[in-house]
Amino acid sequence: MLQPVVGQLERYMDLLSARQKLVASNIANADTPGYRTQDIDFQSEFLNAAGGSPHVAQVGDLPVKNDGNNVSLDREARLLAENALRFQLASQLMKSQIRAVRSAIQEGK
Amino acid sequence: MSLFSVLSVGASGMAAQRARAELLVENLANAETTRTPEGGPYRRKDAVFESATVTSPFASIFHSELETMGGVAVSSVITDAGEPQLRYLPGHPDADKDGYVAFPKINPAEDMVDLMGAARSYGANVSAISAVKDMIQRSIDLAR
Amino acid sequence: MPAPILPVSSIPLPQAIRPAGQAAGGGFQDVLAGAIQRVESIGQNASSTVERFLAGEGEELHTTILATQQAELSFDLFLQARNKVVSAYQEIMRMQM
Repeated sequence: MLQPVVGQLERYMDLLSARQKLVASNIANADTPGYRTQDIDFQSEFLNAAGGSPHVAQVGDLPVKNDGNNVSLDREARLLAENALRFQLASQLMKSQIRAVRSAIQEGK
Repeated sequence: MSLFSVLSVGASGMAAQRARAELLVENLANAETTRTPEGGPYRRKDAVFESATVTSPFASIFHSELETMGGVAVSSVITDAGEPQLRYLPGHPDADKDGYVAFPKINPAEDMVDLMGAARSYGANVSAISAVKDMIQRSIDLAR
Repeated sequence: MPAPILPVSSIPLPQAIRPAGQAAGGGFQDVLAGAIQRVESIGQNASSTVERFLAGEGEELHTTILATQQAELSFDLFLQARNKVVSAYQEIMRMQM
């Protein structure tokens, strides 16, 4: 009934959610000694048709502070905004797909 | 972890930064305190952060595992146990027999900068909560 | 003198009157099928544009949004045209012969 692109949109939004959760954790732990920034590899997780929970990894090449913490608030703030915007876009496109089918059902009345 | 539990993560960040800010303000306010009820000069306090599991207030209601790693908590407050700073002020009411007064080892400039850092982190946590709240709202809107 | 009697030639019959529906039906059916095809392909194009955008394969954001809007509009337009045709048909059927 719904085009296959809807499945893709759903996966996209799933991954964005997962990523945003990690961003929130990173921000909460921005001053926790020894804490390392976490993230997922968005591109490869999306292209991996298998699905399932994305693999969480620690982010390399971020400068480490004296207390062992490597959270960069600039990086996290940027990701926060980007993920939010992409999620907005995906939900709009999703709505558009749903509307198309509903319009067909209601025969444009 | 559902998006709702992420709100708890952000809230834990706000709480931790606020506790940190409170201690910093206490240090700043007592930078020159030479007499305390426990005896001796004020000793600076620092918060130690630690990754923690946070529970959503709804966890018990839904009997579900809404617990999630990724939050933060103040694991302990460390009181400075080092030697206080001694200044030579013979006329001071708290001077010892040699005329030295024990002052807290606090650098106000350092704590001010730290306080700004705490405020910035607090703001970042607020932004995170706001962004996640918007995502939840948009997901709900798909049903409209 | 009487005129010569010409041989009787056959009277050409008028063209057989075909039922009105058939000729028109043939042409109109093609038009309809063509329109459905076009709407379908615009929709397909939109879907694949979105898929390419999500996979990060270089589709621009505005291209994607415009493609989906185009699909939506062409479908809505088609729907409206189809409704008009249906109601016209019903009106014709209601006519007393």
